[in-house]
Amino acid sequence: MYPAPFRYHRAGSVAEAIRMLGDIGEGARALAGGQSLLVLLKVRFDEPTDLVDLARIPDLDTIDQGNGEIRIGALTTHASIARSELSTAIPIVGDCANGIADNQVRSRGTIGGNVCSGDPSCDWPTLLATLDAQVHCEGPDGKRAVPVTEFVEDLYATVLGQGEIVTGISFPTPAVGSAGAYVGFKRCAPAYPTSSVGLQLALNGDDCEDVRIALGSSGLTSIHATDAEAELRGKTLTDDVIAKAAEAAAAQAEPIEDQRGSEDFKRSLIDTLVKRGVGVARRRCAGETVEVSHEYY
Amino acid sequence: MSWVGKSLRRKEDDRLVRGHGLFTDDELGEGMLHLYILRSPYAHARINSIDTSAAEALPGVACVLTGKDVLEHCDPYMQLGPGPTAEILDYSLARDKALYQGEPVAAVAAETPQLAMDAGQLIDVDYDMLDAVMDVETALENEILVHDNIGTNQTWNGVYEYGDVDQAFADAAHVVKIDRLHFHRYSSTPLENNACVAEWTRHGEVEFLCNNNFAGFAKQLLAPGLRLPIEKIRVRTFDVGGAFGNKIWNYVYMALCALASKKTGGRRVKWSEIRTEHLLASGHGNERTYLDTEVALDGDGVITAIRSRHLDDCGAYTRYEPLGCVIFSQVLAATYKLRNIRIEMTQAVTNKCPVVPNRGYSRMQQLWFMERVVDICAHELGIPADEMRLKNYITDFPYETPNGCVYDSGDYPKMLDMAKELVEWDKWVAYRDEARAAGRHVGIGIGTTLDSGTNNFGQAQIMNPYLPFSGNAEACIIRLDFDGAVVVTLGTGPSGQGHETSASQVVADELNIDPAMVTVRSGFDTNWNTFVGHSGSYASQFAVTGLSAVHGACQKLKAEMRQLAAFMLEASEEDLVLGVGDEGPELRVKGTDKFVNYWAMSNIVNNNNAVLQGELPDVTLNVRHVYRPPFKVPDVEKKFGNLTLTYAAQLHIAVVEIDPATSRVEIKAYAAVDDCGTVINPQIAHGQVHGATVHGIGAAIMESFDYDETGNLLTSTFSDYCPITSVNTPDIAYGNIETPSPFSYNGAKGMGEGGGAPVHTMSAAVQDALHGAGVIVTDSFTSPPRVFDMIRNPNRETAVSVDSR
Repeated sequence: MYPAPFRYHRAGSVAEAIRMLGDIGEGARALAGGQSLLVLLKVRFDEPTDLVDLARIPDLDTIDQGNGEIRIGALTTHASIARSELSTAIPIVGDCANGIADNQVRSRGTIGGNVCSGDPSCDWPTLLATLDAQVHCEGPDGKRAVPVTEFVEDLYATVLGQGEIVTGISFPTPAVGSAGAYVGFKRCAPAYPTSSVGLQLALNGDDCEDVRIALGSSGLTSIHATDAEAELRGKTLTDDVIAKAAEAAAAQAEPIEDQRGSEDFKRSLIDTLVKRGVGVARRRCAGETVEVSHEYY
Repeated sequence: MSWVGKSLRRKEDDRLVRGHGLFTDDELGEGMLHLYILRSPYAHARINSIDTSAAEALPGVACVLTGKDVLEHCDPYMQLGPGPTAEILDYSLARDKALYQGEPVAAVAAETPQLAMDAGQLIDVDYDMLDAVMDVETALENEILVHDNIGTNQTWNGVYEYGDVDQAFADAAHVVKIDRLHFHRYSSTPLENNACVAEWTRHGEVEFLCNNNFAGFAKQLLAPGLRLPIEKIRVRTFDVGGAFGNKIWNYVYMALCALASKKTGGRRVKWSEIRTEHLLASGHGNERTYLDTEVALDGDGVITAIRSRHLDDCGAYTRYEPLGCVIFSQVLAATYKLRNIRIEMTQAVTNKCPVVPNRGYSRMQQLWFMERVVDICAHELGIPADEMRLKNYITDFPYETPNGCVYDSGDYPKMLDMAKELVEWDKWVAYRDEARAAGRHVGIGIGTTLDSGTNNFGQAQIMNPYLPFSGNAEACIIRLDFDGAVVVTLGTGPSGQGHETSASQVVADELNIDPAMVTVRSGFDTNWNTFVGHSGSYASQFAVTGLSAVHGACQKLKAEMRQLAAFMLEASEEDLVLGVGDEGPELRVKGTDKFVNYWAMSNIVNNNNAVLQGELPDVTLNVRHVYRPPFKVPDVEKKFGNLTLTYAAQLHIAVVEIDPATSRVEIKAYAAVDDCGTVINPQIAHGQVHGATVHGIGAAIMESFDYDETGNLLTSTFSDYCPITSVNTPDIAYGNIETPSPFSYNGAKGMGEGGGAPVHTMSAAVQDALHGAGVIVTDSFTSPPRVFDMIRNPNRETAVSVDSR
């Protein structure tokens, strides 16, 4: 498969990228790792006139911690996040980075590109929604930060304006004693998850002081499972309480029947994944090291 | 010293692992054109007009082909079926109607593949979408016709009846009725897609480099299709990255490349299929529905009779079909000894991708059916699955089946014992019973499979009595090159099965030399003399047809070498021994220092023949042998005769646990025992068993071609179709027994097609896990979403009934 002809531009800086994209206008697309965009071009679902390659822009592939937040450059690949100390320190990040597709995709694909694809089956938007992340954008009108849940507006649609690009992601450093889990169910590595759940818990003993839950592949965008959170927040975690939260998450999900399964099957999976996620997060809160990621057929 | 039976490292791998293989798409050349195929987005649509002007105007476009061109330059491909089916018009491009999503409608040849695709986007096709017929039962109502000119969608119907079925039912202690079973559509997705390079030369000949796996057959279809004498067509193959039968039918694309070459004044034209094209339109495995199945059993659980109606969905074109309507009867009663059978087989066309032979072609559908019957009866009558099989297995060989097939050898109980031991049966039975008591879903499934090999093409006459095909054959040429090197050419056209290695082992044993001294020319070339009409890699036959041809050729070469060496050494032939001396391969007068090496013999014949002084005029050291299995033409009326020479067998056991939370079918343990008679190369045999097993597990739990009601294929990428990967593959405990075939010179049986084995093994295991929950597995696809539905909608009440007297 071959893309329709396009012009290729390499941006040397954020400012240059913004200028190029702005000058070219509607027909331009920003290219990062290419793991979503190139696939669309090859089947000619999209035929841009120009690609602006961001990959060589310096300093957009760093991971920094400080001032109570973690900041990940937009061009950081899934593989480098998976290998980073961040994935050890905050295991939920490693759960996500390690579970995306296969080695080849992880080596090329970037966190910024993943978020910009606006695909509800992509893992990062759901994970980042769990961590209450901000998406840092820069465009002709300057810089802004948008909560990830607002950044992806609709199926395959983001708030990015003409000439605007994502430069990074940030989220508050999870409080000491809190922990999370990102768990998914999928067919095989090249496939998107059938369902996924991100869950971050702050516990005091068995009491849930705070919680944040997001659902992936469960609607047109990642879904912030507020009903499930309400079932857990401020309560002592018992099997009953957790079951109610799982049920609430499944009810709030809006899955669509496709080759990965029926609506009922997916709701049932979400119920399961919420329970699993709570289980893993609790053990991690207690200091245990637990390896999880996607479960395959 | 015997090389046969040793795990000799594959000769092919040296070039393949270094990336030095030559696959069709690797072929490049100055001035080569690239073909892009525009395909129908609709499953069923009238083509009102095609405007190609914009495409033709694009610089770099050499030609555009539409249905008009094929009508002008081609004739429809020969149809195998009888009656109206023979009138189906199959060309390389659609004419007035597109009959399935993905059917080629137009093609562009251009200077680069990119340009060809660009031009393809400029072709404007005016379609009227028509209602599509998407299942075989609706198709048989004939309200929507796929091929208007034949007036029916039914492509074949016949009854296979043996014994006294009605009496057996009258005498039965139990009659088990199974309402409906369904075998799903999937394929084997070879690593290398279809590809072809064609050149219509200035001499009016067409040269193909391709990856077709049955080139002898392709040539016979291509020539009349292109209105050429057969000898004007040269078909070559080299390395082929898997075929599994799927590539038998890619002649329709070969013809398209040839036509583009013809229209562009003989420029070479290459077409290389992409994966979505392969999934959408390259050929799927046969989908089959089984209705009104009734099984008669005696008081001990021995099956005495089966009657059933089978409906085969062959997609939009028949192509290799309706052969599947006969091929299944090679394994009519599977591994079981019942003698009373009535199966009505009906096939119809639908608006889906045409079916093509696929690993286990048409037999695995029948074997799955029989294994379902056995397991459903066992569960309903409370007989353990292993005992049920032991009561019903065929045990005496050779065994003539009710329809005249002869099972050469086998020992199914022994395979069952070995599989049980490998899988740790007792441990898992205890685990299952404990888990069940705790309310968990654990199941153990057994699957017995036959890989019938070396088919008798005479069975085609059961399908259509007018077809001039019968028997089988394979050719081999062996010669000494000028320096005495042993060079073997084969007609088999391998696609990864290691024929170069296995053939070298046989030659080495026959000539008492080292396999490294034998060069086996890979691939296939109809300009060589090494082929017959049956040549190719299909129907599990290389170890029998291919190696028998090699063996026969070796005998002829040895006879010539003995004559020649006796003359040169002035010795008697009986005193000569073959072997390897200080000067390479030689013939030596036993116990003496008198010898002649292969170089000296070859030199005399090829360069120095006056020395012969007119003696031995027939010695050429370049001999051809054609092996023909001992087949007769079957009785077409009674549908009776020996349809295949050898019957390799597989016995698989799967232990599964179904996670109630995700419906995932976790394989806790898996054992695969194989019997392909005498094993030529254990490592190659093991590899083929492993590959077939993984294919089959993928088919059971991951892979399905699903269409919506308007005919859109919903699984046309690897992200949706999801072929099995290493993360989904369980550890497979492998075992092997050898029951040598009495019908092949070497005791070997064809093998490699046990691809269906895990499908029924997994169906059996899932049913064992869920039978207590009221579930009968009635579909061969048991993916987690399907299992989720099974658990929520138990079907035992409606799927099966038992009438005991």
